[in-house]
Amino acid sequence: MTKEVSVLEIIEKTTARRNARRAFMKTAVGGAAAVGGLSLLAACGDNNDSAQTPAPTPTPTPTAVSTDVAVLNFALNLEYLEAQFYSYAAFGTGLTAAQLTGSGTQGAVITGSGAGFPRAVDFSGDPLIGQYAREIAYDEIAHVNFLRAALGTSVVAQPAIDISGTSTGAFTAAARAAGVVAADGLFDPYASPTNFLLGAYIFEDIGVTAYKGASPVISSMYLDAAAGILAAEAYHAGLVRTILYNRGITNADIITATTKISDARDLLDGTSGGTNGDDDQGIAGSNIGNLTTGISNIVPTDANGIAYSRTTQQVHNIAYLNVNGSNRTRGGFFPNGTNNPNPAFTVGLG
Amino acid sequence: MTQTDQLIEAFDAEARRREDRRDFFRNMMGAAAMTAAGAASLSLATAASAQSTALSEIDVLNFALNLEYLEAQFYSYAAYGTGLPNNLLTGGVGTQGAVITGTGAGSARKVNFTDPGIAAYAREIAADEVAHVTFLRTAIRGSSGSDALIAAQPTINISGSSGGAFAAAASSTSPSLAGFDPYADDNSFLLAAYIFEDVGVTAYKGAAGALINNKTYLEAAAGILAVEAYHAALVRTALYARGLNVASLRTAADSISDLRDSVDGSTDLDQGISPTTQSGNLVSNIVPLDSNGLAFSRTPAQTLNVVYLNRSAVSSGGFFPAGINNGNAAIRTSGAN
Repeated sequence: MTKEVSVLEIIEKTTARRNARRAFMKTAVGGAAAVGGLSLLAACGDNNDSAQTPAPTPTPTPTAVSTDVAVLNFALNLEYLEAQFYSYAAFGTGLTAAQLTGSGTQGAVITGSGAGFPRAVDFSGDPLIGQYAREIAYDEIAHVNFLRAALGTSVVAQPAIDISGTSTGAFTAAARAAGVVAADGLFDPYASPTNFLLGAYIFEDIGVTAYKGASPVISSMYLDAAAGILAAEAYHAGLVRTILYNRGITNADIITATTKISDARDLLDGTSGGTNGDDDQGIAGSNIGNLTTGISNIVPTDANGIAYSRTTQQVHNIAYLNVNGSNRTRGGFFPNGTNNPNPAFTVGLG
Repeated sequence: MTQTDQLIEAFDAEARRREDRRDFFRNMMGAAAMTAAGAASLSLATAASAQSTALSEIDVLNFALNLEYLEAQFYSYAAYGTGLPNNLLTGGVGTQGAVITGTGAGSARKVNFTDPGIAAYAREIAADEVAHVTFLRTAIRGSSGSDALIAAQPTINISGSSGGAFAAAASSTSPSLAGFDPYADDNSFLLAAYIFEDVGVTAYKGAAGALINNKTYLEAAAGILAVEAYHAALVRTALYARGLNVASLRTAADSISDLRDSVDGSTDLDQGISPTTQSGNLVSNIVPLDSNGLAFSRTPAQTLNVVYLNRSAVSSGGFFPAGINNGNAAIRTSGAN
């Protein structure tokens, strides 16, 4: 028996073998993947059709940015935002400097101290929510690492990110715009586990619609990976919405808040009903708390039972909180805009 | 063999699974020590296990439709005590079959929910799955206006009675969940749902590549993939939260994931929900992902291994006692694992 097998035997003999495997998976490959470059994603590509000719590794240039590079960098900006928020909420700290570099102007996370500033949420009275927060944080960090590795030298730097709940912070601005707090009120997503969930709710679903919206334009080489992240984001959104609904059965304010946030996203992305459609829904459903007639709305879908799509411009409109057109290129959670070698992938609705 | 070893053997039951896991660890350890090329080849090895049969878009949509028939019938019975209307079950491909509900204890029936949240979830998911059946049938029908290309619902077994598919699944887990009645109460319903959820996610993800040339189908499939992931998260979150007070719920979910893993081949494609400890803190596992934070894929053959409850190459079994209906015979058979 080799030494390696002995180690394996030991792992086998723990009752937490599955857990060990899982923890190992999430940490072991990071180093190797970090220098993988586009070839790694290529290998992860369409694994269902052997007739598919592997596409050549894109070598984007400043004059001809491939759609894939633009789309993956667009996604990376969103993952920077999510990873920083969850990382601060779960661990009280952000990503490491090595995870933020790339082309474009690198920005910082707006931090500070006191009420509203990014910090670890006190989950001691609600340990389950803390376990969820840590799981999602690890997942989002993995997405940042994965996309950075996939993009290799084409990766963009993290732009400036505002995840603050202070009076001038993006979370408060979003909550005010949604009417979750008064026009002069504060929304501090780090103040309590419930506030954390509502803060998460502001982001979740958007990733789902963004990845789905990108699915028709992404090449076969990246489709499988994009579908994998899409699924992960939908799991996250499902988690957050399920917990909020469960609490909303006895706390109607939570249900109301999710409806308002979804309505605000509808307004921001230009689909607030009427002929423009409606691509966002709160969790209320109907007859909350009624054992025999209640129907939840954990999953926002159209009449066909299919999740919605958003264009990159619609996503930017939400992230920039571009209510009246003045925030078309920057604002909200990205005070200096997003970074992308293709400028068309950095703007909100025109 | 030490007593500990014997206990492990008893718990594992599936000797094959352990070998798989060892191989997995070996690969992962190698990968960790390797450079980018190594990581890339590991991913390639995963991709190489995918099936090589070229599938038409209609084949893929019909494959998905079979799974949606199963899910829709289960959730409809659990939420409302009745199945789908016959006009959603007809089609020109394959032989239409009935729903086997079983009799007596474990038979398919409306769950006597006591938690208004779980009851609301059941009704929501049922509506979503019926919408998927309707949507896929419409998509396959296309502009032809004919049902000739639509796979009819095959025979579906959602019985938890003795001899039923749920009973077979429950008695195949380790430790065994034998005696489990999927329709008994809120917790039982969640565990039964857990058997199906995640599978849809991996199946749609695995099929996405075959739809790459039809952007309309592709985006729709991405939309259903997302919905299945929401459902899976709902079920996993509810089980995890309830597992705080009823620990057996988490371990039962874990054992169901192990069962799925044991039949779908050597690649690790499934994870339970029990928490890990990282840096001294518990971390939940609502989302089953690989080290890159990506959800898993299953090929059609691997998906059939799960719903046929068989690791061998067979054309029927488990929840589909007469097999699935599809115009392409190549995707009616499970993998030889």
